[in-house]
Amino acid sequence: MTTIPPPFDPELAAALDVIGERLPPSLTAEMIQPMRDGALLGDPTDEDLSRGGAFTVARRMVPGPAGAPDIELLVLTPAGARTALPGIYHTHGGGMILGNNRSGVDGPQDWATEVPAVIVSVEYRLAPEHPHPAPVEDCYAGLVWTAEHAAELGIDPQRLIVAGGSAGGGLTAALALLARDRGGPALAGQMLLCPMIDDRNDTPSAVQMAGRGVWDRTSNETGWTALLGADRGGPDVSPYAAPARATDLSGLPPAFIDVGSAETFRDEDVTYASRIWQAGGQAELHVWAGGFHGFDGLAPQAAVSQEARAARVRWLRRLLGA
Amino acid sequence: MKDLAVRLAALDPDAGAALRVIAYFDRLTEGRAGLQAIVRGAAVLAGCPARLADDGRRIQLRVQPDGTDATARPPDPSWMSAAVADGAVLWLERPGPPGPVEAMILERASGAARAVLERTRRLAPPTDPASVELTLDGTAPEAQRLAAAARLGLEPTDPVRAIALADGAALLLPGSADGDPSVGAGSPGPSTGPAWIGAALPANDGRHGAALPANDGRHGAALPANDGRHGVVLPANDERHGVVLPGADGRHADPRQRAGIGPAGPVAALPASYAAARTALRFTAEGTEQDPGPRVVHADRLGGLILLADAAGPGTEPVPDVRALDRAAASAPWALATLDAVAEAVSLRAAATALRLHHSTLQERLTHTRRLLDWDIREPQGRLRLQVALALRRLHRNPPQ
Repeated sequence: MTTIPPPFDPELAAALDVIGERLPPSLTAEMIQPMRDGALLGDPTDEDLSRGGAFTVARRMVPGPAGAPDIELLVLTPAGARTALPGIYHTHGGGMILGNNRSGVDGPQDWATEVPAVIVSVEYRLAPEHPHPAPVEDCYAGLVWTAEHAAELGIDPQRLIVAGGSAGGGLTAALALLARDRGGPALAGQMLLCPMIDDRNDTPSAVQMAGRGVWDRTSNETGWTALLGADRGGPDVSPYAAPARATDLSGLPPAFIDVGSAETFRDEDVTYASRIWQAGGQAELHVWAGGFHGFDGLAPQAAVSQEARAARVRWLRRLLGA
Repeated sequence: MKDLAVRLAALDPDAGAALRVIAYFDRLTEGRAGLQAIVRGAAVLAGCPARLADDGRRIQLRVQPDGTDATARPPDPSWMSAAVADGAVLWLERPGPPGPVEAMILERASGAARAVLERTRRLAPPTDPASVELTLDGTAPEAQRLAAAARLGLEPTDPVRAIALADGAALLLPGSADGDPSVGAGSPGPSTGPAWIGAALPANDGRHGAALPANDGRHGAALPANDGRHGVVLPANDERHGVVLPGADGRHADPRQRAGIGPAGPVAALPASYAAARTALRFTAEGTEQDPGPRVVHADRLGGLILLADAAGPGTEPVPDVRALDRAAASAPWALATLDAVAEAVSLRAAATALRLHHSTLQERLTHTRRLLDWDIREPQGRLRLQVALALRRLHRNPPQ
């Protein structure tokens, strides 16, 4: 397999020069704490989240997994909603090691501006302090609570979806597997945005993109090792930690999967979509040419970023009939 | 991770900003990014709308600081701007004079845009054959046809004609519905006048630089060089002379194609214009002794004659008048050309002048042809009959493609 990487989109390449000054492609374990402290991208304040009154902002402490602390759900409700709306249950990204329930929630807020929906974003415990299964079980506990309290939250339980990007995309895929396997909440869809789903970290795209772009093979190893420790890449990794490990992808809600062609996760995400189809499931896959990891958030002005974001809203419209 | 990094949009004009501006446009140029990306970069980095206006190439780009496109209103002269290339101007929609970062953005973005314009002009023929073909394809959805036209710089309401050439090629010719669109002139290469997409009419006879009134219809259309079958050209448009078409390598094109020209109409009507152009092409002739007649025919000047097109073709038997023309052609090499001149000219004297004959010589010839045809072409009725017979003969010679 050649290690010549596909080129970045020209606009993204230009943006990457600027981004790369502050976000190197390769993150190692020693960089986790400085990254957490650095707050490269300031988290949105409640004022930011309210978008001038378009959303009401609330926080709910709800029970975590058995024997674990409560978890905080950030609930963003479109102002003035009078009927039950679709629900978007959001798991933030950050490589399993970074971020909080406000991180990246602006994406779902953008969607909800076009397709009105209640957003619930979960605060889960992070690795390496809290390895698997703490993060995914926190997310699942919050999902179960959300489904059980749909009426109270103004959510139509028939139109509850899960969504997340990067590590949050991996957690989202795992939530769909868990809900299926435990007879949990019925989900209307799963949005897996450049999801991080395979701890083996050995696909051709992972090899090609080493040292390049955003979240390269080294960063990926850092994240997975934080989550799984010595088990990473071994024979006993749970599909609820790394959904690419699942042997059965049937019976899942319709999936939206997107990924850049120039990122570590390209091949694992394309494979995941293919395996859903092979299992008789529904998936829509977008591979954006020349996209690096998270391109649409880091370089939102680029033409390909605008396309990628628009595709998500169009899928939501079709899925939710909004 | 999208959550981890500073967004490009947050770029602040600190000490490093100028260097980032340089790096940004250098990377765009390295990656051969298009004009849209360059204008977008200027808007994002400057934090205000940016636009590129190039009337000569029909380019109007306007991008807002969030990267989305926006409709352009006329530029405000007080805004800061930089010249890109012959007539093209890059604007930042902010009153001048520019500060250091803005000056750097203007310099670097206009430089990158200039490189794109030079590259596309030098390396690519000024044609987009696939888009031309799509605009003419009545089976394609209208939205697709309008989008293809937009790629060629045509607004939906722009009047435009389709041109069918004898070798099967197609061209688009913008022009007003009432004016004569076929007047094009200029020299190859970058034009300074208003550019249009079009077919070159009259033009190049292969020996001269060509200077023929566009209207006379006697001379062929020249094809864009070396780009194959379908195309558009960008000549300047100044006076009533033919164009020399720019080829990608600077060589001149195959001269003298017969051409049928469809009626002018909105972009959405191009398939119908093209169908009419193909019909008009059947009324053209080589302009030789054995096949005299116009090399260029406008569908909308055929009048009721256009109805003959469906009535005469390879599967139909020529009427006796056409056979009579064939007999005349066989009897003397000059016969058909003489009959054609008489049919077209306002008077016998004018016909003699066109044929460069003495008036009495023409009279002798007509006496000769009178014996071969069984009607008198000097009578008004007979002239009509001759015109119809000549048209039918061309229709038989040029079957539908």
